[in-house]
Amino acid sequence: MLKCKEVVEKADALVDGMPLSWRERLAMRLHLIMCHHCRRYIRQLNALVTSLPHEPQPLDDEQTKRILKKIDSPGN
Amino acid sequence: MDIDAPKFVARLQRGDNTAFAQLVQHQHNYLLATARSMLSHADAEEAVQDAWIAIHRAIGKFEGRSQLRTWLTRIVINQARMMLRKQGREIQFDPTSEEDPLAHRFREGGHWQDGPRQWDLGGPDALLTRDELRHCMARCLERMPENQRLVLELRDLQGMDFDAICNMLDISASNVRVLLHRARARLFELVDHFQETGEC
Repeated sequence: MLKCKEVVEKADALVDGMPLSWRERLAMRLHLIMCHHCRRYIRQLNALVTSLPHEPQPLDDEQTKRILKKIDSPGN
Repeated sequence: MDIDAPKFVARLQRGDNTAFAQLVQHQHNYLLATARSMLSHADAEEAVQDAWIAIHRAIGKFEGRSQLRTWLTRIVINQARMMLRKQGREIQFDPTSEEDPLAHRFREGGHWQDGPRQWDLGGPDALLTRDELRHCMARCLERMPENQRLVLELRDLQGMDFDAICNMLDISASNVRVLLHRARARLFELVDHFQETGEC
C-alpha cells in the first residue's frame, strides 16, 4: 500500500501525463479510493499548475526597435 | 505566432530583418523570464541583450535539430551562466541538499498529518484568480532557489518538454523531476496557507 508521501511524490507525473506502469497505476488508484487528502492534493495541484500564466506579452514596436538598435550598434 | 514554421525559420536563416524583428518581438519576454529566474533584473536584461547579439550572428547556422525556442533559450542560459561565473557564482542542479517543502505535513509513517485545505476553485472570486494571491506567488518565486525556479519556469510557465530541459541544463531527468516537484510543492504550500489565512 502506497503512503501519502509517495502519492504526493508521484502526483507530478500524473499532472504531467507521464506514463506510469500498470503496477503504479493500480497502487495509485487503490490509494486514491481510500484517501480524500491525496485526491484533494492531486486535484488542486493540477488546478495550480494549469492556472500558472503561460504566454508572456509580445514587445510593442518601440521596445522591439530599441533592442534591434543595440544589436546593430557598431562593435556588435 | 509559430516560430518553428519552416518558412519562418528559412527567412531567419536567409538573414531576413523583418523576420528577425518578429522573432525579437515575440520571444524577448520568454527569454527575459528565463534569465530572470537565474539573475537579478538588471543582469537579466543585459544577458538577454547579449544573447540577441549572439543569436543574430548565429541564426544563419541554426540547423533545426531542436525547436527554435529551445535553441534561443539555450543561448540565454549560457549567457546567464557566463555572467554568474564572472560574479563567482554557479547554479547547482543537485537537489539532494534541500528537504521536500511538504515534508513537515506528513507523519513519520508517511501519511498526512495535516492534509491540504479545500481550495475555492470555482466562481468569480476563485482562489487562483485573486490578485493578492498572485502577488504572494510572485514573492514566493523570487525567494525560491534558482535551480527550482528555473525548472518551473521552463516546464510550467513555458511548456518545454522534459527532454529539452534535461539537455539544456545537462542534468538527469530524475533531478529535473525532483526540482520541479519541490518548486510546485512550495507554491502548493503557499496557496494552501493563503486559503486558510488570507495572507502570504
